Amino acid sequence: MRIELSEEAKELVKKYLKTEKQKTYNYDFFIDEEKYIKWEDVDIGMEAWSERVFEVKAEDVEAYLEATENYNPIFRDEEFCKNTVWGKPIAPPMFLTTIAFWLVGDSFVGSWVKTPGAINPGQKIEFYEPIRVGDVIRAKMKAFDKYIKRGKRYLTYYVEYVNQKGDLVAKWWATLILPLTKSHEEHKIEGVWR
Amino acid sequence: MVRFSEVELEQPLPTIVAKVTQEMITKFACASLDFNPIHIDPVWAKKVNLLGYGKTIAHGQWTIDKLTQVITNWCYVDGGRLKSIDIKLIHPIFVGDTIKFMGKVVAKHPRKKDSFCEIELWAENQNGEKVAVGVAEVYLP
Repeated sequence: MRIELSEEAKELVKKYLKTEKQKTYNYDFFIDEEKYIKWEDVDIGMEAWSERVFEVKAEDVEAYLEATENYNPIFRDEEFCKNTVWGKPIAPPMFLTTIAFWLVGDSFVGSWVKTPGAINPGQKIEFYEPIRVGDVIRAKMKAFDKYIKRGKRYLTYYVEYVNQKGDLVAKWWATLILPLTKSHEEHKIEGVWR
Repeated sequence: MVRFSEVELEQPLPTIVAKVTQEMITKFACASLDFNPIHIDPVWAKKVNLLGYGKTIAHGQWTIDKLTQVITNWCYVDGGRLKSIDIKLIHPIFVGDTIKFMGKVVAKHPRKKDSFCEIELWAENQNGEKVAVGVAEVYLP
């Protein structure tokens, strides 16, 4: 039996979908679950460039600022920024999250980040060139480490983000705790086996 | 004006407070494209008895964003800039929680060019439980 996102969840998501990217993104992470790379399939050292690129549009940054209740003029006010070292608005540092999820798509090497039930234990990131509207970002991902701690399966990817000029934007050591098996969480539901 | 030369050890950064609702979590899911059902599906979270609570949790990436906002609110207008963050998420955040995001200066690293300081960052819920801890390195003019 296939697990699906509940109607209640879908309703709420639809209410907040605004940008072109949001509207074309598959928001039901159960649908392609079979395609996501699993913890046991990852070989350390596996490396790949993202198949997609992220073209930074004003609406992408605006939606992110709104959702994070960020009202700093540095991230949106052209006039204000002229009198600062930034010259013009930049995207907030953690806008990188949106870029990361867009770039992994449905079957890319980092698709495990979409595994239902995956837990975020914390992240380490170094920031370089700021991201601005109009930039085109892509990423190189490398399987960096996997280990089991207190019975939990950790996976770390090392990801370098670069812009259209080839400038390094960020280095991200992205770690998640993955469920024991893909359907591990669902096994807890009485009567549901796949 | 935030200046490297004037920043003092133990100096606190302005705190941010946020109340967590399912609307807020789902809105962040749309903005970040992280639609993991663990965040957006209360029905599924209840069924799988998520973490033994049976409730959806806020995105760790939202928590990290708010912690970086403590930095950007503090010094970005004056030309400060994040060098790095290393944050651990140590306790889940649920709908109904009120979270405080805080920071303080813990080290100063003077350099000929690009002096930076270290900021201890942490977040706690309404019960005073720490939900996230970490450190940020920040270049200051």
